[in-house]
Amino acid sequence: MKHKSIHFYIVLNCLFIWNFTYGQECNLFLKGIVTDFHDDSFLIGALVKIEGTNFFSQTNLNGEFEIEGICPGRYVLNISHPNCKSKTKNINLKDNKIFDLKLEHHINELEEIIVSDSRLSRTRKSVQEVLVDISEINSYGSNTLVDALNYIPGASILKTGNSIGKPVIHGMYGSRVGIVTDGFRQYDQQWGPDHAPNVDFDSFETIQLIKGAAALKYGGDTSAGSIILSSKRKVLRDTLFGTSFINLESNGWGGKFGSRLEKNYSNGFYINGNFTGKRYGDLNSPNYILSNTGFKEVDFSIKLGKDLVSKGWNLKYSNYNLEPGILKASHIGNVQDLFFALNSSEPSIIDDFTYNVGAPNQRASHQRLTFKYFRSFKNDVKLDFGYSYQNNKRKEFDIRRGGRTNVPVVDLLLKTHNLMLGFSNIKMENWDFEFGYNGLIQDNFSTPDTGVKRLIPDYIKFENGIYILGSYQESNSFLWEWGLRLDHVFYDAKKYYYKSVWEERNYDVLFNQFETGTDFANQILVNPKFNYLNVSAQTGISKKISDNSEFNISYILSQRAPNPSELFSDGLHHAMAAIEYGNLSINPETSHKFLLSLSKTKPNYNWSLEPFISKTFNYIFIEPTGLKQTIRGAFPVWTYKSTDAFLTGIDLNYSQSIIENLSFDIGASYVYAQDILNSEPLILIPPLNSFQKLKFSPKKSKWTFEISNHISAKQNRFPDSNFIFDYIEDGTIVSKTVDISESPSGFHRLDAIFSLQIRNQKNLTTNLRLIAQNILNSEYRDYLNRMRYYSSELGRNLQIQLNFNY
Amino acid sequence: MKFFTKFSKAKILFLAFIFTISCSKDDPDAVNEQEFISNVILTIESADGTSQTVDWDLSEMNSQTINLKVNTDHNVGIRFINSSDPNDIEDVTLEVIAEADEHQVFYEFADVSVNVTSASNDTKDGGRGVLLNSVWNASSMGTGLVRVYLIHQPTNFNATTRDGLGGFNDVAIDIPVSIVE
Repeated sequence: MKHKSIHFYIVLNCLFIWNFTYGQECNLFLKGIVTDFHDDSFLIGALVKIEGTNFFSQTNLNGEFEIEGICPGRYVLNISHPNCKSKTKNINLKDNKIFDLKLEHHINELEEIIVSDSRLSRTRKSVQEVLVDISEINSYGSNTLVDALNYIPGASILKTGNSIGKPVIHGMYGSRVGIVTDGFRQYDQQWGPDHAPNVDFDSFETIQLIKGAAALKYGGDTSAGSIILSSKRKVLRDTLFGTSFINLESNGWGGKFGSRLEKNYSNGFYINGNFTGKRYGDLNSPNYILSNTGFKEVDFSIKLGKDLVSKGWNLKYSNYNLEPGILKASHIGNVQDLFFALNSSEPSIIDDFTYNVGAPNQRASHQRLTFKYFRSFKNDVKLDFGYSYQNNKRKEFDIRRGGRTNVPVVDLLLKTHNLMLGFSNIKMENWDFEFGYNGLIQDNFSTPDTGVKRLIPDYIKFENGIYILGSYQESNSFLWEWGLRLDHVFYDAKKYYYKSVWEERNYDVLFNQFETGTDFANQILVNPKFNYLNVSAQTGISKKISDNSEFNISYILSQRAPNPSELFSDGLHHAMAAIEYGNLSINPETSHKFLLSLSKTKPNYNWSLEPFISKTFNYIFIEPTGLKQTIRGAFPVWTYKSTDAFLTGIDLNYSQSIIENLSFDIGASYVYAQDILNSEPLILIPPLNSFQKLKFSPKKSKWTFEISNHISAKQNRFPDSNFIFDYIEDGTIVSKTVDISESPSGFHRLDAIFSLQIRNQKNLTTNLRLIAQNILNSEYRDYLNRMRYYSSELGRNLQIQLNFNY
Repeated sequence: MKFFTKFSKAKILFLAFIFTISCSKDDPDAVNEQEFISNVILTIESADGTSQTVDWDLSEMNSQTINLKVNTDHNVGIRFINSSDPNDIEDVTLEVIAEADEHQVFYEFADVSVNVTSASNDTKDGGRGVLLNSVWNASSMGTGLVRVYLIHQPTNFNATTRDGLGGFNDVAIDIPVSIVE
């Protein structure tokens, strides 16, 4: 740029650069068009440079470049584009020359989202998001989707034992976290804290984590954030390739195996299949076996489609089956049993190691069929259309009397139809618009054959949403975004209430219109119908402060209709020894959230800082509201209620290369959550936690070694949910406090990974990894694990992981 | 402008979708709760021929007082009933007898001292009495209460405290006890 003999004339918005020089015989020109290898579309902003000179040109909107005033001679031409592999070409210039160049998209980290299967770019540019490659997650030895989130500051896991985990973002979980797979929201009874998302993450290639309800395209009710799983775009080449992995583990003496085979054709057609199988026996904590915690999982999927860059379609079927066991000692009869469990250092039942799983256990299956079609029009406007059908079966088994242990106590069938239509890439000068529609019909059926009162009643739910998103970008360094979404939610439920409960809660007066007149013994059938209209919105700006630092700020409004469990729950929760009641009177919650992010990227270090602050009106939560005497003794009653909640927190990340071969990473996050109306902390908020990682990767060698440490402080802010019960001790009645509120002490856990990469003659890689988790075999309990009342976390686990491509 | 007309179209489509769809679910079958116990019935017969029936009813959450005579043997029988559907009253005791190997009845007394042993007509699993039929003998006068348990899958049948027995409670109710001369 400093060269005096070259004048620049930059046409704003065209990125067109003209070059002049003064010379005698040097009056040749070189011009042409740069196009995309795959679809022959014009590449805008590609740089064409003559190496060793100051001659260069950048392509304009029509992919054209032009360099003038060149002397005859032999040159090396270098063509580059941010999204493509650079290319060099030798030319011998004697005359003016016109020729066309083709560049091929390369796959780098950023690229994966831009060209991911569902064509997601960063969902919203003014909201910071985390993108992780599934293979990277695998390298940590994680077994479930949510385990993987442990490595992302701001995300944590709410667990019920070790095979069942739910993602927590910014201290919120359940219906407040959306999971999107293949461009559709996942619907699998996600309201329950003890329901793991029914997704085989091994069949996807990337995970995007968005903190905040910024992914308005998929819904506006996920105030905590969204997790988006997607596959990479296909290569338009005749290829057949496969990958397989085997993972063997010492804790649980089990492992997983998976394979993926993909065939692509140059005409854009592709077909691929995935298989994952997992089998584990009883897991163990440092000092004892966690009886009945083994699990198995079998998943497969098949996908075929045609992708021509400017248009395409695909059809996918996937099948997921998980059968986890639940710690046997956690099945308790009443609060007295809970009291004993809390005051015992070990679970009450410790059996010998086995692969067999008995009650209590779960069986979940999720089938999914999706069809998607897209096409880009001449003016670049893109149309997306999709339909998905999800069929989720969920069975829960408990220890029962009279040979009924094989009859589930919960048996639900949830069928969801989804329709989506969207138009994107509508460009007007500096503006870019996107709008669309999502529709949903959901049908829940709860089998009466269980012989147990339905936890979730039969219902039909309709949901219709429209959204419009816009962004204004004047230059590369400044972007303004906004989005608006409207959702209409309608529930039509049929539920039996015990007459005593219906009257006790004053529903016979408040919801008299729902009574159907049908009754059965002491139960009455009611038909609650609810309509909700929710508005959600987002606006934010993204600004580049300098070449390597960025600043984003965003405001998000989200509204969420109560979910079926918050409205209708009705029953005994065994592991918690609690009777849980829904509440027909609760209103939708409205959350306001501000997100800020500051980041800096330098060659030898980078950091990011992401604080958030939010206030939620009508925050729906469950809290103890008294004791209920039953034939099994007294039980605490937990009822869904709403309050106003204030949450704030900060996530930070810092990495630094200390010396050439050694890098250091640190991440930390903290959330403060307060129930404003009751002036007490909110329950189950992740405590202050941090990880530190030291990675040694010697140059020119094929191995790396890393060691990481997870620290979790004690959560000192928790509400008091304790209750008192009468206990007979030495022939007299004494009152005892059942302390279910107290959080466990802080802990730290040390992991190490050794990784070796081998390349064969065909340049295909094989990875061998040796992973040790909880090396010190330290015994600790996790505040976010509902099994913490009964047992401690997993002990040492050694893994061998083999990953090969062919 | 073209864009906005498209948007309105989508809006109209959306509203149309809301108003055109109306279907409803069939009435579900009511669940008659199995394994549910609504009543615990104790029959107390003293050696001198007097007898008493004490019915702990879930809907009332209480029962009358058990009256015992000091230093006298009483035969106590216990039955578990599910009467939640008045047209289909179930005797849950039969299930307990059928699964004697994983059940134990247990009585815990507060403020009174009563000795409980297995009766000759008790249901037995090996040598162990399930205590569906038991003999009670109070050693002193007074008033107190008995906590009646039906324990499913105890871990240690020989224990003498509720804590020691393990397992989980299918029944845990309190009944007042009065012991007289």
